[in-house]
Amino acid sequence: MSIIRVSHLDKLFGRLHVLKDVSLAVEPQEVVCIIGRSGSGKSTLLRCINFLEQPTHGVIEVDGLVVNVAQHRLTDQQKQTIHQIRLCTGMVFQEFNLFPHLSVLDNLIEAPLTVKGTPRDQATALAEKYLDKVGLMSKRNEFPARLSGGQKQRVAIARALTMEPKVMLFDEPTSALDPELIGEVLDVMKDLAKEGMTMVVVTHEMGFASEVSNRAIFMDQGELVEEGPPHKVLANPSDPRTRQFLERVL
Amino acid sequence: MQVTSARDGASLTQLVMKQQEREHRNFQIKVVISWIALFALLLFLFSGFRLGDLKTIQLDGSFMSEWAPFIAEGVVVTLEICFISIFFASILALLAALGRLSHVAPLYALATFYVSLIRGTPLLLQIFFWFLALPQLGIVLPGMVAGVIALSLNYGAYMSEIFRAGIQGVSKGQREAALALGMTQGQTMRRIVLPQAFRFVVPPVGNEFIAMLKDSSLVSATGFVQDILWRAQKVGRANFHTLEALLIAAAWYWALTLIFSAIQSRLEKRLSRGDR
Repeated sequence: MSIIRVSHLDKLFGRLHVLKDVSLAVEPQEVVCIIGRSGSGKSTLLRCINFLEQPTHGVIEVDGLVVNVAQHRLTDQQKQTIHQIRLCTGMVFQEFNLFPHLSVLDNLIEAPLTVKGTPRDQATALAEKYLDKVGLMSKRNEFPARLSGGQKQRVAIARALTMEPKVMLFDEPTSALDPELIGEVLDVMKDLAKEGMTMVVVTHEMGFASEVSNRAIFMDQGELVEEGPPHKVLANPSDPRTRQFLERVL
Repeated sequence: MQVTSARDGASLTQLVMKQQEREHRNFQIKVVISWIALFALLLFLFSGFRLGDLKTIQLDGSFMSEWAPFIAEGVVVTLEICFISIFFASILALLAALGRLSHVAPLYALATFYVSLIRGTPLLLQIFFWFLALPQLGIVLPGMVAGVIALSLNYGAYMSEIFRAGIQGVSKGQREAALALGMTQGQTMRRIVLPQAFRFVVPPVGNEFIAMLKDSSLVSATGFVQDILWRAQKVGRANFHTLEALLIAAAWYWALTLIFSAIQSRLEKRLSRGDR
């Protein structure tokens, strides 16, 4: 059974039709990479999954939690379900979005404490486990401003993991990084993938997509153009638009 | 070849920077000297010095030394009014700012209505309203309470813009990160947005406090709050020495302004140094 199911999703920003009847299913432990030029709607699609962007129309299902958006105003029941969905999805942003007024450790335990009501010692233990996993235990008491971009993003990944999500959403996680710092973030993501985390990754890193993902999706102008095994989509695409895009980036 | 030119470039920038530094320091020294000269001129104007037909203002020294302590006691009252008022004003400003950002129409309306009403009427009128108009309805407030209510409401309205800007100054990504972690709107505001907005807000609130130090003197118009200006006016009128009395009051207000401006600029520096 799919852990994420997006059905007939439409998203309009004013008159701009950013997502056009997009459907997508992600299986547990699958790593799906979404590629496409900027403005193709790939980030919007990702952000619709946890409702940072409210779809105009369509159905989102995550881990059995279903929200069917038919009108702009959400019911209280739907808002409750969205909250549940956010609890089981972790998200990593292009701009890291660490909380600058909190130390690294406090960044990690903030949500477990306030959202789940986890006791502080348990939350701290959990946070340390994930800080260790991303290799930043030594930065536990630093403030985000003192970290490099790569370290920030690894902390952001650990912060998402500390909520123990079932799915991780990555929104261009390496696009704001200096080239020499991209590797350390991708390494952490590879480890996660190996451990069986379900991941949806919007990325420009073709290397990562072909090496780590189980499936690659190419989007263009709000439409899902082509999907399949990465070696197929990235190396031997059937759609001319995909071919054109790949010629330009590779 | 390239190495030498690079070194020349470096020394050139160093030279330019040094010169700019020197110019800047020269300018500052000149400013300080001019300040001292201007201050000396001001003192001279009140020195009673006589030069032929030209004579400066003569002050009554014995009156001043006799009544200066009495006026100085008003400093405590002025500071008390200001500290209490800025506290309540900050709370009101925060609430008004949240109202302004609210999508609930009545809350938005309440906030904008409050700000418009306060900004549309004079502060002195508002002070009189709380002190002189309410008794007609059977509500008699002590002068101090009326003054604090008036100042709090007035400054709260003006400061709401500061708080609104502070909240909006926190990047959208911060809010999204909190929401994505499952935090509610309220938790996001309380735990993530407001603590960061606080940093943007402290320096301008400091400015408002410094302005309030002077505006608080309007409260003396009620006749029942013994702040700096009230005391100066009282002893000045009684002894026909209003000139000396007001000068003492002015000196206090100026000194307080200088002191709190210095504190404020320090605070500002420390906050801007913070962990961005």
